[in-house]
Amino acid sequence: MASIQYIGETLWPGFIGHVCILLSFIAALFAAVSFYNYLKSDSETEKASWYALGRAGFLIHGIATLLLIALVFFIMGNSMYEYNYVHGHVSDDLPMRFIFSAFWEGQEGSFMLWMFWHVLLGFFFLRKKDRWSASVVMTLGLIQFFIASMLLGIHIPLFGEEFKIGSNPTVLLRDMIDAPIFNKADYLSLIEGTGMSPLLQNYWMTIHPPVLFLGFASTAIPFGFAIGGLLTKDHTGWLKPALRWSLFSSFFLGTGILMGAAWAYEALGFGGYWAWDPVENASFVPWIILVAGVHTNLVALSTGYSIRTTYIFYLLTFLLIIYSTFLTRSGILGDTSAHSFTQMGLEWQLAGFVGFFFFGSLLFYLFRRKSIPTNKKEEGLNSREFWMLIGSIVLFFSAALIITSTSLPVFNAIMDATIEPGYIGKVIEDPIEHYNKYQLWIAVIIGVLSGSSQYLRFGGRNWDGYKKTFFTHLGITAILSLIGSFILYRYFNEAHWQHQILIFSGLFAIISNLDYLITFVKGNIKASASAFSHLGFGLLIFGILLTGLNKSYITSDPFGQRGLLTQDQLNSNLLLFQNKPYPANSYMYTYTGDTLDGNLKKFNINFKRVDDQQKLVEEFDLQPSAIYDAKFTKIGAFNPDTKHYWNKDIFTSVSGYPSHLQNIDSLKVLEDRLVFEPYSVNFQDTFHIINEVQIKTGVRLDTIIGQFESYTFSPEHENIELDSVDLAVGAKLRFYHPILDTTYSATPALVLSEGLVYQYPVSLDPLRLRVGLDESVFNQVFTQEHELNYQELQLKKGDAIQVGNFEIGLIGFDNDPTDSNYTAEEGDIALAAQLVIREKGTSERTESNPIIIIRGNQQFSIKDYLPALGLHTRFNKIDPKTETMTFSIAQEERNLNSVNLSIAQNVPRSDLLVIESIVFPGINLVWLGTCMMLFGLLLGMIVRYKH
Amino acid sequence: MKKIYIINILVILVGIFLLFSASKDMSTYGTFDAASASGKRMKVAGELVKDKEMKYNPEVDANAFSFYMSDADGHDAKVLLNKPKPQDFERSEQVVVTGSMREGIFVADELLMKCPSKYKDEEINLRNQG
Repeated sequence: MASIQYIGETLWPGFIGHVCILLSFIAALFAAVSFYNYLKSDSETEKASWYALGRAGFLIHGIATLLLIALVFFIMGNSMYEYNYVHGHVSDDLPMRFIFSAFWEGQEGSFMLWMFWHVLLGFFFLRKKDRWSASVVMTLGLIQFFIASMLLGIHIPLFGEEFKIGSNPTVLLRDMIDAPIFNKADYLSLIEGTGMSPLLQNYWMTIHPPVLFLGFASTAIPFGFAIGGLLTKDHTGWLKPALRWSLFSSFFLGTGILMGAAWAYEALGFGGYWAWDPVENASFVPWIILVAGVHTNLVALSTGYSIRTTYIFYLLTFLLIIYSTFLTRSGILGDTSAHSFTQMGLEWQLAGFVGFFFFGSLLFYLFRRKSIPTNKKEEGLNSREFWMLIGSIVLFFSAALIITSTSLPVFNAIMDATIEPGYIGKVIEDPIEHYNKYQLWIAVIIGVLSGSSQYLRFGGRNWDGYKKTFFTHLGITAILSLIGSFILYRYFNEAHWQHQILIFSGLFAIISNLDYLITFVKGNIKASASAFSHLGFGLLIFGILLTGLNKSYITSDPFGQRGLLTQDQLNSNLLLFQNKPYPANSYMYTYTGDTLDGNLKKFNINFKRVDDQQKLVEEFDLQPSAIYDAKFTKIGAFNPDTKHYWNKDIFTSVSGYPSHLQNIDSLKVLEDRLVFEPYSVNFQDTFHIINEVQIKTGVRLDTIIGQFESYTFSPEHENIELDSVDLAVGAKLRFYHPILDTTYSATPALVLSEGLVYQYPVSLDPLRLRVGLDESVFNQVFTQEHELNYQELQLKKGDAIQVGNFEIGLIGFDNDPTDSNYTAEEGDIALAAQLVIREKGTSERTESNPIIIIRGNQQFSIKDYLPALGLHTRFNKIDPKTETMTFSIAQEERNLNSVNLSIAQNVPRSDLLVIESIVFPGINLVWLGTCMMLFGLLLGMIVRYKH
Repeated sequence: MKKIYIINILVILVGIFLLFSASKDMSTYGTFDAASASGKRMKVAGELVKDKEMKYNPEVDANAFSFYMSDADGHDAKVLLNKPKPQDFERSEQVVVTGSMREGIFVADELLMKCPSKYKDEEINLRNQG
């Protein structure tokens, strides 16, 4: 095949992009190796040159990476669809404010986002020339080497198969996909980008990934410190600088996770903030280990205990981050997760990434283990460090449990690939119950420890003098919590004894930490950070308990028929017809209509709460919405809406919507299925239509009585703009529904516009009818010009004469007439007559304005038509001498006494939707508790950075 | 013996115990036949039978959606879900339902579906163009 000269492609960003990726990839490794040599070298001169090389390498790597990111933004911003990544994530109608979201929507983009933070963090550590900074940048370089390899996009044939190394974001579409369209030189003018999933087109997608990836990226710093410690055998020097960075990292990773939870809750309509989804777990588990690491780091720094544990935790945190990358990006989670990335063929490469660091760093640790100092003396039971260590082990245990269950698909895949081909994988039957069951006990222990260990002192300092204070505070807190747990227990629905223990533990954490803040901290900010975090944890326990146990569905249908579904099965969705209030669970729900805002359709739901005496207690509106794709062909996603109270949320989502309104394909199927029957109806006559309606109790036969009232020549229809059409006719109809005892009126219409006749049928949703005018009506009511019999008459201004049924008078002229059929030219004389017409026996006067135009020695007339009277008027001649005007007038002979209708029955209704409302009590405790935990971490970091 | 060793042993023992107890929460995907035989609640994975009727009529019951699904053995059964019809359900390839068999109908209260990715759609689109 001869090579084609494609038209319109911009190829230079692709070339530069390829170079940047290669440079970034190689320079990252070069920097890592150089810094390694700097750390291992003994001579000062060698050290200096290795450092310079490493620094240059990382700078080149960083600049190449940043340039690559800028380039990808450039090709995306300019909608260069010749590039595969642009084609897959941008479209012409994607608003520019979503360009960031589109950038990191795909795997390549999120790898680049991750690299971006590594580069910035690396640049920060280049400012300082010491062994720890060098260790961190070395580690970052090695990590970047692996991530950059994910962007290489090289295909290597090996053992007869093609192995893919990375996926290049600047590769051309035609190099990725083999399709006949690429045989055309101008293919670029034929394609458009596919754009972003509407589900992701919101501000959460703009803010959540950068924060989460900063969290991911920053876990590499404590990891880098630990690697540096192992490498240089300086096992204590890194503990101090590492601590503030692990606080930094746990703050951002935690914030990222919290934002994910808030997103799921606020916008995605998952009906909760946490579902133990594997993707959620994958980022939560490293955070738990990191927090455990923060605690042991603190112990190690204060007492010299737990250095080994700190090493393990920091190594594990990063290893779990890359393991989570593997889980979410390799496609291995399959159908166990609701939101993992799609498979990209990088499974083996990702596994290599994880494997290298996993075995590399853990073996290195084992190799160095002996050299790590330990305290010979045991921690005392009365020391804070002992219980902090216990707490950390419990956290580790929690993480281990979660990650083991989450890794079940990995276990299945390994079994299938090695021991037992065709192994049928196991799945967790009820994930939420499974995880909650175990994590409840973890929370109990952590809650108690987070309170009691606060009262203890490092090394059990001055125990004999302090003993009494300790036991007093501990005892009083325990007693208060115990009493409190009995009182509060009764406010929880479906609570079991385990929950009461958790209530006790949560109370214990809250009371003890408040007590600690007041009695012990006394303005010492450094000591208060942990108390804030632990207090937050206690509040979070209550938030989780309240939202979990006291969650209630307020849209269960009290009149629902269950059939095979038994009463214990959740009945949480309610059908609402537009403008028809429906009572359920002490609320009156009304769907009052929808409004369109761009491609967002907002459904307005009115809530009225009434008390036992049917008195209105409160009223509010919620607007859950649906996002259509840019071409309005289908709904991409439904967004919930929430009413916030200080103590609860009312969360409402649209859970069902007629499928013919959801996408255009279903609408077509529906339209094709409709059968229009002809009905010929005389003036004032009635006709009957019988519908079969399925309702809760069975089938109901609805007889509808229709009546033809009259014709109208200015039909009111939501889709007709009367000013812009040439001719219109509508039939005014009335329909009476005896069961609903309601009369509905409808005016189906026909419209002539630019020579074509259009039908405007009317849908009567409550009657399940679609009523249209038969096209024959047009010829029935309108007469064509050549069939008209014009009658000539002459009038002077002020004259009035009788013509047939009409009295016609000429009252004046308009010498500046406008008409859509007339464009004024220089030198024209145009005159419109003002004829007043009154039909015999009526008092209503109608004005008609036929126009005459004199252009040079030519004359034109523009006729006027009064459809209501069936009257055509023309202005033929002006006699300036006698001031006599000549007109011709024709009246149509038409039949307005019958109408031909076409009616489809049993039409699915479009005026309904199904909603689900959930009350989440105490949801604000979840947010408050989590925010306090994160605030404590942030405060700790800031205080440690200052000292 | 150091306290920390006692704790470590304790942790390992509890871990082993939990591992055993956690394995009870796990099972393989069942089939409709197995669900009929045992009458127990289970997870069945399979494919949506696209040419059989899918029914969701909120006017009759807003909390009932029925469709036909073919399990791993290739056996078809009617599934009744106590939820509205999920968005884009017609497009789903893999369906996992959780519930139990009642009178020959699999009554489910949980449904997970896997849809083909939009990228695949687009690729097909591009191939069909030109």
